Amino acid sequence: MTKGDIDPPPFFKSWTAMYGLVLGVLAALILLFYLITVSYS
Amino acid sequence: MSGLDWGVLVGTIAVIVLYGIWKSRKTQHMASYLRADNTERWWMMGLSVMATQASAITFLSTPGQAFDDGMRFIQFYFGLPLAMVVLSVTAIPIYYRLKVYTAYEYLESRFNLKTRSLAALLFLLQRGLSTGITIYAPAIILSAILGWNLTGTILFIGVIVTYYTVVGGTKAVSQTQRLQMAVMLGGMLAAAVVVVQMLPAGVGFSEAMAVAGSSGKLNLVDLRFDPNDRYNLWSGLIGGFFLSLSYFGTDQSQVGRYLGGETIAQSRLGLLMNGLVKIPMQFLILLVGVLVFVFYQFYQPPLYFNQQQAANVVASAAAPAWHKLEADGEQAFLRKKQAALQLLEAQKANDEVAEAEAQTKMRQAEETRKALRAEAQELIKTHNQGTDLKDTDYVFLTFVTTQFPKGLVGLLLAVVLCAAMGSTASAFNSLASTSVVDVYKRSVRPNATDEHYVRASRWFTVGWGAVSIFFALFASQLENLIQAVNILGSLFYGTILGIFIAAFYVRKLQGNAVFWAAVLTQLLIFGLYLFTPIAYLWYNLIGVVLVVGLAFLLQPLLRKPA
Repeated sequence: MTKGDIDPPPFFKSWTAMYGLVLGVLAALILLFYLITVSYS
Repeated sequence: MSGLDWGVLVGTIAVIVLYGIWKSRKTQHMASYLRADNTERWWMMGLSVMATQASAITFLSTPGQAFDDGMRFIQFYFGLPLAMVVLSVTAIPIYYRLKVYTAYEYLESRFNLKTRSLAALLFLLQRGLSTGITIYAPAIILSAILGWNLTGTILFIGVIVTYYTVVGGTKAVSQTQRLQMAVMLGGMLAAAVVVVQMLPAGVGFSEAMAVAGSSGKLNLVDLRFDPNDRYNLWSGLIGGFFLSLSYFGTDQSQVGRYLGGETIAQSRLGLLMNGLVKIPMQFLILLVGVLVFVFYQFYQPPLYFNQQQAANVVASAAAPAWHKLEADGEQAFLRKKQAALQLLEAQKANDEVAEAEAQTKMRQAEETRKALRAEAQELIKTHNQGTDLKDTDYVFLTFVTTQFPKGLVGLLLAVVLCAAMGSTASAFNSLASTSVVDVYKRSVRPNATDEHYVRASRWFTVGWGAVSIFFALFASQLENLIQAVNILGSLFYGTILGIFIAAFYVRKLQGNAVFWAAVLTQLLIFGLYLFTPIAYLWYNLIGVVLVVGLAFLLQPLLRKPA
């Protein structure tokens, strides 16, 4: 099996971009939760 | 419970079970029974992965945890998306290349039979025990709140799930799970909307958040590093990462979900969907718990949410003391309600002095309430044998059954039962597949026909169903049910993950050294649990480090002379 055997993800050109989306959403959520914590503490 | 609620509950469960059986009626071969013929699309696998993790405990215990401890439990899930990415890059292509039925098959090709068998046995031990809790937890709570018979509830959940898992295997599990997830998400969204609408006039969502924030419930992120603190950013990111890596990468109840994918890309997307949706879903469930907390700032809550245990005290000689505590609790509640209304008035008027004063009053009233609850717990302990003193698992369902409109009560109970059934079905299916593929087929009867192994899988499913129901019937009361499951997982996952990390990433290590390192690590982890205060999430990281480190140390000693 080679890298070429794996289909690309929908909406993105590469899997790296897809992983970036998942990690970016995680970072955004942590930041949002931190801001909620600070503003209500 | 009204007739409408019963109709919604029974109708929802019946439709889901019959649909799962009908969709999986043609499963005759190992590939279809254990891997759903590799026909699953990514969104089905994503829902199946989420439904496997979301047990009934998630929907009962998590809102109660937010009610009591705020939303900091969300940090437990921060490592999950990281693990989904790592598994998509590394584990999924390897599992697909080797065309395995279980994760443990890979360990034999990489190391040896005994390492594969050890990992499979640790999994069977851990999953077999925790599945008992998965059935017991909702049954004890439903029986306490609704007066249902405990044994009957355990048997109802256990037998129905065993039946459709035996009939349809992996396909029945995933087909039912996608409907169960729809019910769970829909039910919790409806619950969040209804709780906000039930708040008193003049208290909307933003006011509710202000009250929750002033009470310290919006503590979503804690940046302090403390290895003895269960939930902070670092334990969530690091400990949660290793726990998720182990759970999703090496626990057959999860690996079995995404091995049924059409292609590597579909399986990856299924896992990444979980990485994107899981944290918002947990946030929603915790938020419902916080909204319930706010509701009980304006409406009198019971002194103790486990009404069955409270009734035992009332029926005893301690009844006068209990009623005195209830009367004092009512006074504390009225002071707190007054302070909460004062806080909202002060915020509206931008009066910082009055706001600070109201917050102080709220804190004082909360301290009084906590002291009264501590006294109530002492009475509960004296008059209930083998008592679980954390009644937080009862908060959400007590709220639902006493406050929600007719019909919605049935839907929320269906959410709880769907969650119980979805996670239990995955567990039975994975216990059966591991027993057949890694033990029976490999070491007991290697050359039988495909039909024989399907029959064996069905019998193992029945057997594991019976074992889990037995554990559920005799389960003792545990501190907090969701934590009990996570602690049980963390005790074994570190070792199992250490074996897999050595297999995937440390090419130098050989089977014999990894096997003995894993045995020693498991003993050391038990020692840490029994004799140290280290928070359980760290066992996952410690287990991995110990397996890999000890394997490096043992390898020169165990190497056979040339």
